[in-house]
Amino acid sequence: MNAVLVKPLSRIILFIVACGLAPLAPAATAQLSPAPRSTDPRQTIVNAILAGDGPAQRDLIATLAGHGDETIVTLLTAWRTDQLFIHSPDEATRIPVQLVGPKDDNDAQDALRIDTGKPLTDATGKPLKLIGSDLTAVDHNANLRRAMKAVLDLVEVAHPDPAKRRSAIQAIGFAQAADKIPALQARLKIETDPHVVLALREALALTRLVDPNDTVKLAALNELRELRTLSSYDLIHAAHKSAERAGNKTVAAAAHTTLLAIDQHRSFVDFFGTLFRSASLGSILLVVALGLAITFGLMGVINMAHGEMIAVGAYTTYLTQAVFGAGITIPAFGLSIGIPGMNLTGWGHDAYFIAAIPLSFLAAALVGIALERGIIQFLYRRPLESLLATWGVSLLLQQIFRLTFGANNVQVSSPSYLSGNWTVNDILFGWNRVFVIGFAILIVFGVWLVLTKTSLGLLIRAVMQNRQMASCMGVRTERVNMLTFGLGSGLAGLAGAFLSQIGNVGPSLGQSYIVDSFMTVVVGGVGNLLGTVISAFGIGGLDQILQQYLPVWAPGLAGFPLIGGFLQNLAQDSSVFGKILVLALIVLFLQWRPAGLFATRSRSLD
Amino acid sequence: MSKKFTTLLSVGALALGASFAPTANAADTVKVGVLHSLSGTMAISETSLRDVLLFTFDEINAKGGVLGKKIEPVIVDGASNWPLFAEKAKQLLEQDKVAVTFGCWTSVSRKSVLPVYEKNNGLLFYPVQYEGEEESPNVAYTAEAVNQQATPAVDYLLKQGYKKFYLLGSDYVYPQTTNLVLLEYLLSKGVAIENIGGGFRKDGSGKIISAGKYTPFGHTDYQQIVAEIKQFAAGGGAAVISTLNGDTNVPFFKEYAASGLTAEVCPVVSFSISEDEFRGLPADKLVGQLGCWTYFQSINSPANKKFVADFKAWLKQTNVPGIVKENRVTCSPMVLSYVGVYLWKAAVEKAGSFDVDKVRAAWKSGVSFNGPGGLVKSQPNMHLTKNVFIGETKADGQFKILETFKNVYGEPWLKGKFKAAGATAKSE
Repeated sequence: MNAVLVKPLSRIILFIVACGLAPLAPAATAQLSPAPRSTDPRQTIVNAILAGDGPAQRDLIATLAGHGDETIVTLLTAWRTDQLFIHSPDEATRIPVQLVGPKDDNDAQDALRIDTGKPLTDATGKPLKLIGSDLTAVDHNANLRRAMKAVLDLVEVAHPDPAKRRSAIQAIGFAQAADKIPALQARLKIETDPHVVLALREALALTRLVDPNDTVKLAALNELRELRTLSSYDLIHAAHKSAERAGNKTVAAAAHTTLLAIDQHRSFVDFFGTLFRSASLGSILLVVALGLAITFGLMGVINMAHGEMIAVGAYTTYLTQAVFGAGITIPAFGLSIGIPGMNLTGWGHDAYFIAAIPLSFLAAALVGIALERGIIQFLYRRPLESLLATWGVSLLLQQIFRLTFGANNVQVSSPSYLSGNWTVNDILFGWNRVFVIGFAILIVFGVWLVLTKTSLGLLIRAVMQNRQMASCMGVRTERVNMLTFGLGSGLAGLAGAFLSQIGNVGPSLGQSYIVDSFMTVVVGGVGNLLGTVISAFGIGGLDQILQQYLPVWAPGLAGFPLIGGFLQNLAQDSSVFGKILVLALIVLFLQWRPAGLFATRSRSLD
Repeated sequence: MSKKFTTLLSVGALALGASFAPTANAADTVKVGVLHSLSGTMAISETSLRDVLLFTFDEINAKGGVLGKKIEPVIVDGASNWPLFAEKAKQLLEQDKVAVTFGCWTSVSRKSVLPVYEKNNGLLFYPVQYEGEEESPNVAYTAEAVNQQATPAVDYLLKQGYKKFYLLGSDYVYPQTTNLVLLEYLLSKGVAIENIGGGFRKDGSGKIISAGKYTPFGHTDYQQIVAEIKQFAAGGGAAVISTLNGDTNVPFFKEYAASGLTAEVCPVVSFSISEDEFRGLPADKLVGQLGCWTYFQSINSPANKKFVADFKAWLKQTNVPGIVKENRVTCSPMVLSYVGVYLWKAAVEKAGSFDVDKVRAAWKSGVSFNGPGGLVKSQPNMHLTKNVFIGETKADGQFKILETFKNVYGEPWLKGKFKAAGATAKSE
């Protein structure tokens, strides 16, 4: 209930310009009263309180209409709930105050001056505490309350923040409150924000849907057909039903066509939404699988620890965040390792993610290199043993994560530039998703550059194709193996940085992606990066399309003999069934093409 | 942070402790079983219950025990392995001959030990919200029944003017059953079926056998579901009723926030997120979302303040090996374990005996305890009458209590029939 002191100067100027000096307009001047006028809403309310009961008071309140100032809401609400009092230390002075906060033992509360919003002070500048029952309460009656309500309605739709304005307007529209039509119309005349204008038109049309007059209803339906907002669907549906019940064929038909128009819009939104979601899921699969496409695809190591490389990247992101923030203490292995934080806030802190990207690559790459030097280099000729050994490493790493960071998930917050969305024509583009797509394209391009345009890439390809020959030509195959494995692991670390933005960061993070990674690489064709790209987007797209459209197709499945009903029910659970179906299709696909989309002969497959 | 590590340590230590516990003079002590997962996936949640049980036993023993006998805990580890739960239960009942067992978290572990308790006529106290449709004379359900959590939450939302409800859950028995009950409840409250989102599955005769949208454990991609909710909520007045379990909440809430949906636009009421789970969730993404339990740590009552303070003090001085001492919170399953012990004590004292049949008869005749969440009272159907609270999540991981339903009668059989939940609803 604290009255917030807002400097409303710019708003006042706006208001005066926008309202065309409403108080001076002819209609208003007719009721002009001798009471003093002010453009400061606080002063106006003080004047109104001091003016006493009567038309002059109501008129003063009415001049507040059109302000978007929240002070008005606070004060008028306080007035209506009997929290405003008049403090008169002597006969001549009358200071309106608002009593706020809890009552102390003497029933006294803090007092805020209404004209300034600051605490009431005595002569020495000490804040005064007042007892409500000792003061004259500022009273109100039905007429005044009605005037206040009109003002409050308008305050809502005049909020300085367009998003708040929009949601207030939508709320009015959803409530279909006919008494607020004038307020909406008044706002529509001066509104400049295109989104808010749309919301106003929608709210007006929705409110008119319940008008008893058919012509008004039909006009409203026409308007809604033009607007095609998803938000209006429910109310049009209700109007359609009630018109049908009432036997009003024209309105019912108009409502029906409007609904069809919105349905059409919805399928358009669904279609492009699904495309975007496919691309985003495909990118995630691609990012997680790309590292494996190198370690497994090119090098032939059945790397079960790939998931844990992802987790290394995710935990690195978490640590980076902690270092940019308040620091962290890791109670690892009985020792307590304290890492001091930089205590950055705002953009400084948000920048942690930028720093985390290269760091997570490096951290995972180093772990990968250590793994290659320590274990894998002895197992190049024994792929099955590499499977077992890396699986063991994966368990070991998971346990290390648990010991270091705890069994619970850790919290990685999204920087502000990754936590919003664009909504274009009702299609939602989450910034984190757009970022993942962009990033996937970038690293695929990067990997392609490294493999085809650098001397390291040349050596990698040479060693992968024929190790002995490369060795004979003087290539240090050991070193190339190490770097290649490091590159693959580093890419997995990058994936971890991203996954930290959209999901859990915990010890078992890697486990949830290892199957997807292998699936993507195998379907794409082991040893072929292009195959991995195509299969990632293919699997991602298939998954999203099935999730979106299985429930739509479900009624069609009922026609199947015997298992129709069963299929229909399964299809309803699209996120579960979609996954099963994707797996089933992959199994069938691999039956048909065991080597995946692009079969490549590589050293490991010889 | 090294909870897992400490858990492991404690498991080892407790296992040793359990097998080598000095068998004190049998006349002075009564053996009580503790059957929770102290390792595996459920250890994160269940270890807290073990801790609070040990605290309660110490508290009771310090005041002279039960019928003059000290409680001697026999702790076994279910290890998140459901068949193992049944084996451990058998061990507790046949070998250790415990007077009572406090244990289980998941419904599947309860279902797994149930035949063992029924065969040996044991008594199990079960403390975690569950789906109902069960009433065994060998189980005292201190847990929230569906009408002590789900339906009061719906009552609250309806009162707030919400008209559309999207049902979302993890794919297992508790969400499936709860949502079916909720569907019937919403329909009985006059919510039109087209205003219930998430989809339906029907059997051959057209009867709805499952309502709502389900995702598997460990699901990570909530894009499509959130897009669907966004459309569902476009017309205003919509809320999501979530029985999503465990860490699937993280990708869900991250996606939810990224799509611009907030608690103001479309609140999510979650039945599986308590203060303890909250510690692993992105707090900034959850502020303002709703929870419904029969206890919140934020309850402002002397009994609760004392409980929280005593528990924290006990944590400080306890020498249970490897117990996590920092940043501990209390939550509903913990308090229901706590009141369970006291209700058992009350029933034993009323019966004047540890005999299961006599204790059960005392329970059925009604025993009560004034616990941290207010008065709880046992019912003839083995459930509890207790207060239900609706809370709003805050950034510090606690709940701000918005509404209290007093003395709600626990009703396990809800499919197909309704008793209006909440005898008297009172705003706080």
